Amino acid sequence: MGFFVFLPLILPLTAVPIARLTEQHLHPRGAARLMTVISAVMAVCSVLCLGLIGVVGTAQIPGNPLPDSWSDPVVRHALPYHETVGTAAMWLLVLVAFTCCRTVVRHLRVRSRARRALAGLPEGSAGEEGLAVLPDRNPYAYALPGSPGRVVVSTGMLDGLAEDEREALLAHERAHLRHRHHRYLLTTQLAACVNPFLRPLQAAVAFSAERWADEESAQAVGDRRITARAVARAALVSHAAPAPGFAAFAAPAAAQPGPVPRRVAALLGPVPTARNWPPAKTPAGLAAMVAAAGTAASALCALNAAVALLVVLKAVTPL
Amino acid sequence: MADERHAPASGDAPARRRGQGELEAQVLAVLQQAPGPASAGWVQERLEGDLAYTTVMTILSRLHAKNAVSRSRSGRSYLWQASSDAAGLAALRMRRMLDGEADRDAVLASFVTALLPHDEELLRALLDAASADPAAADRES
Repeated sequence: MGFFVFLPLILPLTAVPIARLTEQHLHPRGAARLMTVISAVMAVCSVLCLGLIGVVGTAQIPGNPLPDSWSDPVVRHALPYHETVGTAAMWLLVLVAFTCCRTVVRHLRVRSRARRALAGLPEGSAGEEGLAVLPDRNPYAYALPGSPGRVVVSTGMLDGLAEDEREALLAHERAHLRHRHHRYLLTTQLAACVNPFLRPLQAAVAFSAERWADEESAQAVGDRRITARAVARAALVSHAAPAPGFAAFAAPAAAQPGPVPRRVAALLGPVPTARNWPPAKTPAGLAAMVAAAGTAASALCALNAAVALLVVLKAVTPL
Repeated sequence: MADERHAPASGDAPARRRGQGELEAQVLAVLQQAPGPASAGWVQERLEGDLAYTTVMTILSRLHAKNAVSRSRSGRSYLWQASSDAAGLAALRMRRMLDGEADRDAVLASFVTALLPHDEELLRALLDAASADPAAADRES
């Protein structure tokens, strides 16, 4: 075990290149799925390894709930047992559990509050997501997951769009609901809580989900330019409104365009190829291979550590 | 939720438990049907499901706090009048939620995210490209 038990904690860094490169080289659907799987696996491995480090490291501390045999010299010899590292791992685990719980609670609270806000409005017929148009001058449009899901649009948003652009907006939100994008978002958010190195993946998945819905919307309305116009105009309408000011304040004054212009530019560009894995001899292909290798290594390390621990445990535990 | 909404037809209205949001919407709907300002008792009579007078009063006060109804004093009690419809009430509640939850965009998929400083000019340029003559773009591709 030794050093390898720490590897899954830093291996998420191997996924950073793919998070950067999928945007241009993969269909957003494939990108979202690939990166969600990678971050879920890496997060689980990270938790497993933190747990192992914590359990083994704290086995020496008097008063821990583990059997005495865990502090046996054989175990000490086979496993890293630094008390400080173990204690730190335990505290990290507590922190991870706390942030994950907070994320889930927040997710459920927002969903239930939004649902309660819409109580009393007629729901859509079966199969078709209900559309709720709310009289509000502030422009917003949300996909509210659930069964049935709902699309919430304010009149402020609709007024800023032309007829065909409204259709594109609704198609976009329905695509979010139909493909259950909130699950991808929640999964990667939780993964980013577990291991901060997975944050680039979370941002990339969030962006891919938007691009995915954009592509579906473009397909539904039959013209990519209409969806591009809808996204651009909606962003401008929302921008003009008195928005929560600190978003613009916190944004770095970098020359990098933000996510919305990138989406519009992508819609004005060619249709993305339907492939779910980039071609091998390109930077994106290489990045995908690195990320896949990193994920596999992470899983192997975690598995190896768990098995080693079990073997040692079996050896010292009189059955 | 979906089943509950169709429940009044089946006639077991008193048995089911209604959420606060739904009750507010029902009270508002009754008030809208009123020919003029109505008393809480008038509303209570017309509400299905035998609600207590105090419950009706609570709901009316809550609606008043949200500016969805207005009230005027008449003798020792209030007369109530709807000042928004069901969609308006939902909009008020939704706005409260959106203002109250700082990071709701992490949960609800928003159509567009906030723009960076230079994004606006960029978007306007792209918008011009998107609204340009479609025939010309078709010839190019």
